[in-house]
Amino acid sequence: MIVRDSNGETLDLMPLNVGPSHPATHGCLRFMAAMDGETIVASVEEIGYLHRGFEKMVERGTWQQVVPYTDRLNYCSAIMNNIAFCRAVESMFGVELPERCKVLRVIVNELSRINDHFVCVAAAFQDLGGTTPFMYAFNPREEIMCIWEKLTGARLTNSYARIGGLSRDAYDGFEQDVLAALDSTEKALKDLHACLDRNRIFLDRTVGIGKISAEKAISYGWTGPCLRACGVAADLRKDEPYYDYETYDWEVVVGTQGDCNDRLQVRLAEIEESVKIVRQALKRLAPGPVDIVDPRIRVPAHKLAYQDMEGLIGRFKSVYEGVRVPEGEFYSGSECANGELGFTIVSDGSGHPYRIKVRPPCLTQFAAFHELVEGGQLADSMAVLSGLNIIAGELDR
Amino acid sequence: MDFKELTEKFGGKLDAQAKWDDCVVVPREYLHNVVAFLKDDPSCKMDMLVDIAGIDYLTYPNHEGERFAISYAFKSLKHPGLRVRLKVQVGESDLKVPTISDLYANANWYEREVFDQFGIEFTGHPDLRRLLNHVEFVGHPLRKDYPAQKRQWLSTNDYLLPELEKRLETLGYWIVQRSKEVETKDNEFLEGSVKE
Repeated sequence: MIVRDSNGETLDLMPLNVGPSHPATHGCLRFMAAMDGETIVASVEEIGYLHRGFEKMVERGTWQQVVPYTDRLNYCSAIMNNIAFCRAVESMFGVELPERCKVLRVIVNELSRINDHFVCVAAAFQDLGGTTPFMYAFNPREEIMCIWEKLTGARLTNSYARIGGLSRDAYDGFEQDVLAALDSTEKALKDLHACLDRNRIFLDRTVGIGKISAEKAISYGWTGPCLRACGVAADLRKDEPYYDYETYDWEVVVGTQGDCNDRLQVRLAEIEESVKIVRQALKRLAPGPVDIVDPRIRVPAHKLAYQDMEGLIGRFKSVYEGVRVPEGEFYSGSECANGELGFTIVSDGSGHPYRIKVRPPCLTQFAAFHELVEGGQLADSMAVLSGLNIIAGELDR
Repeated sequence: MDFKELTEKFGGKLDAQAKWDDCVVVPREYLHNVVAFLKDDPSCKMDMLVDIAGIDYLTYPNHEGERFAISYAFKSLKHPGLRVRLKVQVGESDLKVPTISDLYANANWYEREVFDQFGIEFTGHPDLRRLLNHVEFVGHPLRKDYPAQKRQWLSTNDYLLPELEKRLETLGYWIVQRSKEVETKDNEFLEGSVKE
């Protein structure tokens, strides 16, 4: 297409389609760029290639049946999504969780965050052509995956949290496994920093690339590590603390430039903070119940169903009719690996959700994609894309 | 902040359905003013639009009022922890709401999503298209009367060239000659697949 710019100069631009099934677009993203040689002059994005109708599907099941669907939002840190949803529903019930449940949730939350950030940094490096850091990051990730296997029975889609508790307590030797995973996480961080920090090729590809100002990022509704990379110290774990996050000793990591390098470095630094939190949480992990005792919220234990009538009825009603969430409307946001994962919930007081709207953190970040890549080179757009950590599962729902 | 001021100033009322957070139901015609007020007022400074959710009350038991509602969630970074929701009611006869995409950049995509899923139009929106569903999709899937099992035949790709030209124009370029669109519909590769 031939265009004239504001100086009256005529340019012959080439429209270039990237994606949706390009390996570097991480799933199903598509954008069309008007190219002047190697430079992107303008870009528009298109999403929806992984739209499965999450919000329509959840209206057909019970409240508990939403939990496995939330796994499929951000599949790199499935447990975090479970917990975010259960937390929203639990606040509607107005129940307080047992201490052990809260501590366990903090531990699995932070381990998921470590996992998610490792995937992001590793994939970003892979997209730029570096395969070594990928292996460094995936070793500790594999250890955490093995913990998930033992803890939940699944590697990827765990469905670990339940409304009013957890699907099961930690297994024997959980603490040792977590400590071992933390040790190898710290070792991998050292290796990754050795690869990243003074790597000329990496710095040339990421420093000053995909810059965004804090005001613009806020206007686009950015949250999580991407917003913090712009220098805004906003973290729901500090601002609206839940699960006693405020009592742990940790720092909110912020960047300075808001460029691609900052977004990756903030993630690596956040892994360090998460390691700190998990180590403190392990010391607090005292024996006790993990579920609240209320058959109207948390289904009674399986063995009670065989022992007395009340347990049997509670189990039957909970499974067939679903828990009855009080009537009303509520928005609840939790700090997940990518930012604020929010649920706008409308309940009509029955056992089925009336309406659940997910607020995916990726959507706002991908909506600003054209601002980040315009004026840069085509190859830079791949570095920008992987630094944002767009997960198509939660982007398209 | 006490949101009473809002209710007095703009004729809104506190939402009885919101039992766990603050929600104000505002008349549709004042929505833009209320949002601009919330964004700039130093006592709340709602600088981030968190979410826009459409709600269809068609099958809601004992529901009084209009069929649709849109819930806007805001939060403040200046005052951490301060949040508010606004709700506008939209009747089936007049599915129009003023856009707030001039105030918040991300409202653009959120409003496109609500338009896509509920068919509510946002007047003044610069680029009101479907966001998640396909360009050929008929109907609005999150309405309660849209059957969840319904299937539709979708054949073509979303054309992005018109949007790209629009974007170039907003960046200050003037299109001299458009590039040709590739008609994927005419190609024979679709024949022989599962088309009924």
